[in-house]
Amino acid sequence: MKNVIIVAAREFRQIAGMRSFWLTLLILPFAFALGPLTQRFLQKDEADRVMVIDRTGGAEARAITDRLNLDRDRTVLTALSRYVRRHHLEKAGPSALWAQHDRWFSDPDVAAFRSAGGVPAAQAKLRRVAPEGTPDFDPPKPEYEIVPVSGELANVPEGRLDTELKRLLSPPDKDVKAVDYVVLVPSAFGTSPVVRLWANHQPNAQFVATLQDVLTRDLRTRYLQSQGVSSVSAQAASVIAPALAISTPPPGGGAREAMLVRSILPLAAAYLLMMSLMLSGSWILQGTVEERSNKLLETVLACVSPEELMYGKLLGSAGVGIFMIVVWIACGIFAAYATHGAIADMIRPALDPLTSPGTILTMIYFFIVGYVTIAVLFLAIGAMSDSMREAQGYLMPVLFAILLPITLLIQAIIGGSGGIALEVLTWVPIWTPFTVLARLGVGIPTWEVIGSGLLLAAFTTLELVFLGRVFRASLLAQGQRPSLAQVIARMRRG
Amino acid sequence: MASPPVTRIHSFGGRNLTVLTLDGVTKRFDQTLAVDALSFAVEEGEVFGFLGGNGAGKTTSLRMVLDIIRPTEGRIEVLGRAPGRTNAPHIGFLPEERGLYRQMTALDTIVYFGRLKGMTGAGARAEGTALLDRFGLAANTCSTVDKLSKGMAQKVQLATALVNRPRLLILDEPFSGLDPVNQGLLEDEIRRLSTGGSTVVFSTHVMQHAERLCDRLLLLARGRKKFEGTLDQARAQLPARLWVVSRQSPAGLAGVDRAEPRATLADGWQEWDVRLKPGIAAGDVLEHCVAQAFPLRRFEQHHASLHDVFLHIVGPGEIRS
Repeated sequence: MKNVIIVAAREFRQIAGMRSFWLTLLILPFAFALGPLTQRFLQKDEADRVMVIDRTGGAEARAITDRLNLDRDRTVLTALSRYVRRHHLEKAGPSALWAQHDRWFSDPDVAAFRSAGGVPAAQAKLRRVAPEGTPDFDPPKPEYEIVPVSGELANVPEGRLDTELKRLLSPPDKDVKAVDYVVLVPSAFGTSPVVRLWANHQPNAQFVATLQDVLTRDLRTRYLQSQGVSSVSAQAASVIAPALAISTPPPGGGAREAMLVRSILPLAAAYLLMMSLMLSGSWILQGTVEERSNKLLETVLACVSPEELMYGKLLGSAGVGIFMIVVWIACGIFAAYATHGAIADMIRPALDPLTSPGTILTMIYFFIVGYVTIAVLFLAIGAMSDSMREAQGYLMPVLFAILLPITLLIQAIIGGSGGIALEVLTWVPIWTPFTVLARLGVGIPTWEVIGSGLLLAAFTTLELVFLGRVFRASLLAQGQRPSLAQVIARMRRG
Repeated sequence: MASPPVTRIHSFGGRNLTVLTLDGVTKRFDQTLAVDALSFAVEEGEVFGFLGGNGAGKTTSLRMVLDIIRPTEGRIEVLGRAPGRTNAPHIGFLPEERGLYRQMTALDTIVYFGRLKGMTGAGARAEGTALLDRFGLAANTCSTVDKLSKGMAQKVQLATALVNRPRLLILDEPFSGLDPVNQGLLEDEIRRLSTGGSTVVFSTHVMQHAERLCDRLLLLARGRKKFEGTLDQARAQLPARLWVVSRQSPAGLAGVDRAEPRATLADGWQEWDVRLKPGIAAGDVLEHCVAQAFPLRRFEQHHASLHDVFLHIVGPGEIRS
């Protein structure tokens, strides 16, 4: 055992001494650090300026303005709810809308929030319970600003608007703020459904959808009224929509948004296992091939048995993989609790499973055994190869065969599908660790976890025996590229 | 390079112990017979040469001694035990094909192998530092192997074999690829270890090194032992040869097999290449010459080289193979 540890320590030090290791290790923390910065760059500094020329009397312009304001207040309420959750301020108003998380705020919710005093009233309550040093809530900037229509534009014939609006959309004077969107609701709106939109850039799809929604409702109301339905009934019918109640098994808890957030850790573990295997796979190969090509093996094998060498290498490389994961998780925890922003808000609830010993043990088991299962393959490939080029030739098809189905399946899980393929792959040992880890978040029966875990352990034991024989028999067989028959013979005889 | 003083170890009142025994050892690789019923023993403190051409089975035999591969048949005993890694703390090994971890420093490399041989980290570090100092590499202790010259790397490799002060040092073609300076260094180390009581077994196909270093040697051809014994015993395998200057042919002298003229000198003197009959010593012939008043101006015994002995025993065909 002592020799296994000495070999493992050397293997770990060798990999940790590589530049590629540190680059790989720092990629994720760098991404975490870059995330908020990117967010800041991606956020618009200024709201888009919207002008609505309503020639029907002003009702359409008011409806559009009301809807944009409603959506803005919904965004503020959602952000306020996240703020309250982040700082654990629910006790400021347990029944308040902003104390409820992971839910979609409907139009009546937003109206209730407004009538309760909106942000100022909420802030007043929150300040009373917020511990010292808690930052004030900073509402998100509005996305749209309604600008008034100048008197002369209101009367410009529609045919001349293309020319007249150019100076508004792209003013020659740099100091004059451009109008981003101009909406013309013609006087014939109702009898004709045509509404015109000018934009000084590719229009935001969300803005177009909102506009269309508001105007569609109005058209429907007008139509119903023309069919003899009363004004009140027509308006009520045009806004009618189902209240969809969603139920999913735990830990989804209800809405799809919450389910994904809560399942991100096991899913991330599956991804990290895949990433660390892809990266450390080449390091494992490099180490083994180096020992062969640098003619080191005889010297090493005079001191340690091939089994000790193999287990040492496995332990060392698994140590590297686990070290990487620990660093990444530590960075995730730091990002979740020491920073603010959407990434922190997403990671924090995702770390919830870390409070469950069962989940932690399951994740650690499938991660480590999964790592060993695949790493043994790399070791055997390394032992059969005289050069990295030759080793890569074996490695690529193996990696492809292992990782491609997993990539597709993980995407299927994120997309909420996967079906029977997912359940089948859970029982194929080389894919078991990935599928179980990925399924943990969306719910997997306990018997499947235990059964596939036992099968994986049995498979890995057999793999260690048979590929261990290949490893031992191939170590000193330099310059001989083994055929499949020879590999099988080595598995049988060692 | 001057070697520090060492103390010769005597075991059991000066009687040497058998350090290595091979008894009827055979190794087959599929259809290839690499070693064929090989038996020999090496005593403690000996420098034992393992001689043979390429493919004679030297490396295979040494690998079996180190338990890197297992014999098909026969018994091996190393330091009183079966081959295995439990012997590693007492064995030093320098393989024919040498290499080091390129990104490790010289000292870390030595410490790593020292620890694999059961040394403590501190002990291996102290011994490694002393070895690097002795080999003139004190300034390169922290240099990574890829920054060292080939000669320096060879010294580091030698240090990895010596770090545990082995009781049995096994060297497989140790002089191949070494520059003359390092060849001298290695010869010094072999003598030093032998003087200190360690046993050295080395394989080579360069006979000069064996002639200079070996107490006993074994000739191997196609996996079979052809000879085992001392250098003198090896030489005795060839009939003695004399270079004689005389006025008349020495062919008629007792014990002479044949005499061939080599050169004609002044005043009727002639140089002769004389081959003696097997088992006849040069001294006997000289005594006979004196007794018969056989006129001589020169009587010189020509010692057969190990190379000649090897050619004689193994045969040119085996060498070519």
